[in-house]
This record gives sequence, structure tokens and C-alpha cells, in this order.
Amino acid sequence: MLDYDQSMLDYLGIKDFEGLFSDISPKIRKKKLNLDPHCSECKLLQEATMLSESNRFDEYSNFLGCGVYDRIIPSSVDSIVSRSEFLTAYTPYQAEISQGMLQSLFEYQSIISDLMGMDAANSSMYDGPTALGEAARMAVRINDRKTILIPDNIYRNKRNILINYCAGLDVRFKEYSFDMKTGMLDLEDLSGKIDGDVSAVIVENPNSYGVIDENVLRVKNVIGDSLLISYVDPISLGVLKPPGDYGSDIAVAEGQQLGIHQNFGGPYLGIFTYRKELARKSPGRLIGETTDTTGRRGYVMTLQTREQHIRREKATSNICTNQALMGVAALAYLATVGPSGLRKIALATIHQSAKLRQIVSGNKKVQSNVFSGTSFSDVPLLIQSDEEKLNQTLRNNKIFGGVKLDRIIQNRYDRLKNAFFFSTTEKTEETDLMKLKHALEAV
Amino acid sequence: MMSFKQAKYDEPFIKDLQSRTTFETVSEDYDEGIVPSVMLNKEPKVPVIAEYDVVRHFTRLSQMNYSVDTGFYPLGSCTMKFNPKYADKIASMPFFSEMHPLRPEWSVQGTLQVMFELQEYLREISDMDEVSLQPLAGAQGELTGVLLIRKYFELRKELSTRREIVVPDSAHGTNPASAAMGGFNVVEIPSNDKGTVDLDALRYAVTDKTAAFMITNPNTLGIFDPNISEIAEIVHSKGALLYYDGANLNAILGITSPGLMGFDVVHFNLHKTFATPHGGGGPGAAPVAVNRKLADLLPGPIVRKGESGYYLDRSNNKLGNIASFYGSFGVLLRAWSYIKRNGSDGLKMNSYRAVLNANYLAKKISNDVRISHPGLKKHEVVASSEESGKRALDIAKFIIDAGMHAPTIYFPLIVKEALMIEPTETVTKKDLDDFADLIHEAVTSTQEELHKHPVNTASGRLDEIKATRDLILKR
Ligand SMILES: Cc1ncc(COP(=O)(O)O)c(C=O)c1O
Repeated sequence: MLDYDQSMLDYLGIKDFEGLFSDISPKIRKKKLNLDPHCSECKLLQEATMLSESNRFDEYSNFLGCGVYDRIIPSSVDSIVSRSEFLTAYTPYQAEISQGMLQSLFEYQSIISDLMGMDAANSSMYDGPTALGEAARMAVRINDRKTILIPDNIYRNKRNILINYCAGLDVRFKEYSFDMKTGMLDLEDLSGKIDGDVSAVIVENPNSYGVIDENVLRVKNVIGDSLLISYVDPISLGVLKPPGDYGSDIAVAEGQQLGIHQNFGGPYLGIFTYRKELARKSPGRLIGETTDTTGRRGYVMTLQTREQHIRREKATSNICTNQALMGVAALAYLATVGPSGLRKIALATIHQSAKLRQIVSGNKKVQSNVFSGTSFSDVPLLIQSDEEKLNQTLRNNKIFGGVKLDRIIQNRYDRLKNAFFFSTTEKTEETDLMKLKHALEAV
Repeated sequence: MMSFKQAKYDEPFIKDLQSRTTFETVSEDYDEGIVPSVMLNKEPKVPVIAEYDVVRHFTRLSQMNYSVDTGFYPLGSCTMKFNPKYADKIASMPFFSEMHPLRPEWSVQGTLQVMFELQEYLREISDMDEVSLQPLAGAQGELTGVLLIRKYFELRKELSTRREIVVPDSAHGTNPASAAMGGFNVVEIPSNDKGTVDLDALRYAVTDKTAAFMITNPNTLGIFDPNISEIAEIVHSKGALLYYDGANLNAILGITSPGLMGFDVVHFNLHKTFATPHGGGGPGAAPVAVNRKLADLLPGPIVRKGESGYYLDRSNNKLGNIASFYGSFGVLLRAWSYIKRNGSDGLKMNSYRAVLNANYLAKKISNDVRISHPGLKKHEVVASSEESGKRALDIAKFIIDAGMHAPTIYFPLIVKEALMIEPTETVTKKDLDDFADLIHEAVTSTQEELHKHPVNTASGRLDEIKATRDLILKR
């Protein structure tokens, strides 16, 4: 103990630190905290460096994707989100001293809803899949119906999150199927499952097969007054029609691709947008524009009466801490790459995927045209090999990729039993593709 | 005290910065003919701005934002302690930050080791049996806990009768919200005059219809409930479970633990106790720990150490997953760094000093505002400005105008004109003295004077009613 501490204890008339804990019964006192004693910063950095270096596999080509992508991140984005005025602040409860974050988040809401073609966005959710879970809850809150229609190829982890987020509601999930020729949703099957009990239909674009799903454009016409929830890849909106264009009532996305590092699974960004008249039923924090006492423009958190700190068990969601900083990253990213950059990135991705399909097409053991639909990032290949052997081959050839479809999708189709995903981004190079071609020749 | 004047720019709205894009993404111009024509969008609606203008825009905005690195930030219940810079450095090491979550296990052994060690540290700190790192923030940790409780009773075929979760009236809003989200009816019980759980009310409320009692200890008044063992007994005697909201753990690390107190489920707020930065509202991370009863229900893969290295064990997770992968690794990594750096001695010392600071400040301000409940405080102190005739809101605006962050106000709901103050261990005595002086000045000012504040901040008092009425959510 330092004199410094002692002088404060003296002020309190308490003898020592332990005296501050006389309210905790000895019966529940911890005997010993069984951890190593502290270490110096220098030693810690050495150890962390060593551990991180053990993850280093420099010469590998990367074909991993399926929801998380290795994309270009402008250095400016990292620089902006490292500013400690943003990084070490919290939720802007005191608006007048937090205008920087509030304006940033208001701008995020503006730019993201524009990108998605929607009226409004909240200031962030945890990640794409949990945003989808919240969207399903919101739909049920709006129309009080009991069925949610979902794609039968939705990723397992998204399905689990949907189930968990809706566990407290009296809700069923029904699946619609996919056209095995095009790889797009089966509109007939979907429309056949619509009845007065369907609260919402969830569509994905690109869908979980990685296919740009042209049929999403026609879904709104066949679902009556059920709500349309779209889950999209925000990078794809560089060239694809935004979900607002095809009548989405709620549109959500994983925002990782927008300037956020892969970070082995997080932190990411849940993008959550909707038609404006649904705002009062929506979850999450909202920033609104207003004026101060002198008439100057300013920003505050608004519609807080939907939120847990006011509405408690009747709140539209329990979310409190969100992903504000990741929202700033996405905003800075979009502003930096601009419309032309985003468009180029999306186009490059589609082109690399097409090239990938084409480059392995001569291989007898590989079927690359699994679907006639256009692939965005994730390209499924049917490969005559078991998973272990393929993994070994890929490892020998210094390739990361080849995620087996039925590992991430509860697969209903025999035909896709031997499907493996190889994903591209604008960072995929010709040499990577050649390496993959070569590797797959060895299976 | 230093004088304070926050930057105040007429910063343009981002769309009004339109100029030209200077950042080069992809040099090649690919043909758009490859896009299915029905899906083709000519150009995304994104503003056109030069990179240097983007940086300047956000630099100026950041200067209009108060943060822990700017000064004292005693926002109650949020544990706004110093966020160590070594953790930033480690979190940005590329072979941590660039790892794809689907990388094969053999290629991410360093990452898995960090996760494994963090699980072990949290087990030791909490005296619980098993940890899932998956939940993404406190509220999601709570939802996870509630769903675990649900699953537990479902498997015991008791879910149809156990429909209620009991919470004290001092609970954070996320507790009842999470309970409701998990499909339970919320039963709120009043606190007693000491600010702790009223045992008679608890005995009355907890029945064979109860699934769980959710509390935080120390509670949101900063008081450690001396009857915690008895509470656990009452809850368990009815076959219900006890949930620990770990938001207030900072006061008791190494001193006691949820396990020793008899809890069944716990969430940790890594962005509070373990000093990960709050990011202006997030991200956070909130691992959940449980005892044996619930161990094989936990969501997400658990990292294990085997003969040939670390691996992800998916065998037990009956709850599936609550987030996509393994949690916010970038945040987990920072917490790992913090625990390693502080060690057993440092963590305990931090608790000592956090509690010392809270009690010191409580006494310092006790002549100016009424301390909600007398006695020892743990991580924070709640005061009421009611008797001074000043509104908590006005006091808050006075404080921010002097260059300190305000306490949390109007929470917990059971204290009128509440000022909830959590100094944490990473402030000096001078910070505390200056803050106490500000409280004194505020309560001895005239109402009229208080109303003029703030004037030194980037904006004057903002009209929240207008914001709700106009509902301008984008431009
Ligand atoms: C007591 C208490 N419980 C729960 C939470 C919720 O945590 P989070 O904001 O990380 O969701 C908070 C924090 O805001 C809190 O203070």
C-alpha cells in the first residue's frame, strides 16, 4: 500500500484495504486468486507477439469466406477508429459533450440506409445474424403472427441464432426450398407456403449458396401482407439492387466487409434498416437530429422509450452496449472508397469468382458449374474427395479454403453432399487462382 | 481545476463534403456485363469524398467527443476505467486481427491459446465450472443465461410451470428485458430500506413457478448484499436458479466470487471489469460461466487443450450458438492482456482501489447530496440531489461544462434524482476532490445559474422533445 492510499483510508477512518470489505462474510471470502502474478508490459508484449506469430502462414492463399471476408481496408479507417476520443468513450448519454460520436452515428444511419435503399437504420446491432434474429422478433411484434419462412439453406449458425432469439416467442420456422439448377430460391415453393399466419419471409442475397439470387425481386409480389426481411452482403450493393428496391420491410446485413478486420469472429457490425413507419417497433439505439438552445443543429439519442433502460421488460430489445465503433468504421470505409470504389470491389469479386469457376472447369474431379446462377463471393465446387483428403491436399498446397457445405449448412440436397466453398474477394489474385487449380488437380 | 473548452466546429454533414474519391481500391475496370441485368444497380448511393477530407472530418468530430482518455468519467455502472494501450497494440497485431474465423485449428493455435487461457482465468476469477466466450455484450450474456435456464428446465420437463424470473427493483433494465426476451414473465420485488434484497419479499416471490432470480452483487446502489448466501438458499430451495449480472464485478475480484456466493450462471462484462474500450457505445464482450448443472448446455464451441494442441469442442453445446463464431475475439484478446498484465496481485489491488475511491468520494460529497443508503460502498455510490432542490440533469450539465463526465443519472430507478457515481481505480485523489468540488458548486448554485449550462461543450442543451417529434433519423 502507498502513503497515498493510506491518506485516503485515514480520511475514511478505515485501517487498511481489508477494512473496506468488512461487509463481505468470511464464509464467502476467496482464499486465493490462483493466477500468475502481474508481468511487465514488455514481457506481455513479447508473449503476445510470440502467440500471434504462431498464427503466421505467410505463403498461403486465402479462399475462406462464407460470411466473413478478407477485403481491402483503407489505412484511414484504422486510423479513424483508433482515435481515443471515439475508442475510449461510451454511449453518448451526455449529448452536449458527445457530439462527435452522435454526428458520426447519425451519418452512419444516413449512409447505411441510403446504401440499403431503406428509409432508416439504427445505430448498430452486434452482428449480421443477431440483427436477423432481432428482425424476426420485430416482424412478430408488428403483425403478431406465428410463422417465419426461412431459406432451407440458411447457415446453421444463423438458424440457431434465429431459434434462440425467438425462443421466448410462440413462433415456428418453416423452410422454403431452392432450385437446384439455378441455385436461386424456388418461388413456387415459397409462395405455396404463404398463408395468413406467415409473419415474415426471410430472403438472402447473395444467398447461402453464394448465388446472386434474381428471384428475390419477385418475392414481395407473392407474399401478400407478410413482411419481407432481406439479408444482404453490403459489398454486393456496389453493383446489385439494394433491398429497398425489392420491397423489403426490414433489411439487415453483416457489416464486417465494410472496413472491419476479420478478428477471428468479431467484433463485427449488425446493420439494421427498415421502413420509417416501423421505427417505433424497432430495436436498438437511434440518433436523431435536433437543435440546441441557440438554434444550432445537434444530435441526441431518440425514441429511447423503446429501450430497456426505460421500458424494461416491455422493451423492443434488451440491447444496450452495441457496436458503435464498428459503425464508425463502416461509415469511414464507405466514405473513403466512394461509390466508384465500392462498385469496383463488387465487380472485381464477381469476376474473380467467375474466373475461379472457369479455371477449375477442366478438372474431371471437380464440377464448377454447380448452379447456373452467378456467384458473388462464395463459389461452391463439387469435388470427388472426402473432406479430410481435400483438407490435406489444400494444406500441402498452402491454401486456406474448401469449407464443406454441409458443415455450415443443414444440407437437404444429395447433390450437394460433396460441395465445398471457395470464396473470392477483390484481393484474390491470378496466382492464387492458379495455385488452387493446381491443388485441385491433385485430389 | 483546469479550465475547459471543448472544440466546437460547424462540422458539415458528411454528404456535404462531396468532392472526388481519391482512394484507389481496384485498378482494373471490370465489365458490368457479368452482373445479371435484372439485379444491376448503376451506382450505389454513397458520397464522393477525398480520403484526406474523410480523415479531417472524423478528426474534428472526435475532438467534439469526451472520452476516458480526455478525463474523469465516473459514469455509474459502466466502469469507465483507463483502457491500457498495450491492449490496443496487441489487438492490432495482424496475426491476431487478420484471422478468418474458419481457419483450420492447426493454423490458429496462438489465437486458440489466448481463448483457452481466458476461459481458465474467468473460471478461476468466478469459481464457476465452465465458460463460453461467445456472447457479444452484457445484455446478450444475460439472454444467453436466460436461455440456458430455459433449456435446463425444458430438459427437466419443468418449463411449462416455471414461467417466472424474479428481479429486484434496483436491477438494470437489461435484466428484465433479457428475461422477457427469453419468454419469461418478470416479477419485480422491492428492495428493503438498506437497499438490498428484502428476504421476506423474496421468499414470497420465489415459488415453484420461478425459474430464476437475477441479481448483481454488489448491486446497482454499490452495496454488497450481506444476505447473499441466504438468498441463494431461498432460491435453490424452490428448485430455481440464481443468475449473476457481472456488470459490477470490478469491486470484488480476488475478494469473493459468484461461485462462492452460490450463483449458477454468471456473465462478465469484459468492457467494464477488464478494461476493454467502450468504443463510444460498443463493442463489448460478455462471456458466460456456469456451474456443473448447466455446463453441457453452454453455447458456442469451448476451446480445449488436447494432445496435439488446442481445439474447438462442439460436443456439448445444447444451446447451439448465440453469435456467429466464438465471440468478439478482438475484445477477448484485450481482456486476456489485461488479466495477464495485472495478475493475481494487480487485479486484487485494482478492486481495493476502486472500492477505496468510491468510499472516499461518497464521504466527500455527503454534505452536499444525500448518499442513498449509508454504509460501505463497493464499486460505486448513488446519491440523490432531491433535498438540495437541484435536478440531477442540471447537475450533470454543470459537471460536463467543467470538463468532467457526468455520473449516470436517474438510475437506479428507486432513487429520486439519482446520481450514480463510479470512479474506478484509475483516477487520482485530485480527480475525486475536483469532482466533489463540482458537486458542491452545483448544489450551491442557483437554479437559474445551473440552467445556463453547458456553454463550454460542442453544443448547448439539446432539445430531445423536438428530436422525438421531428424524428429525423437520416439526411
Ligand atoms: C448492471 C448492469 N447490467 C447489465 C448491463 C448490460 O451490459 P451491456 O451494456 O454490455 O449489454 C449493464 C451495462 O450497461 C449494467 O450496468
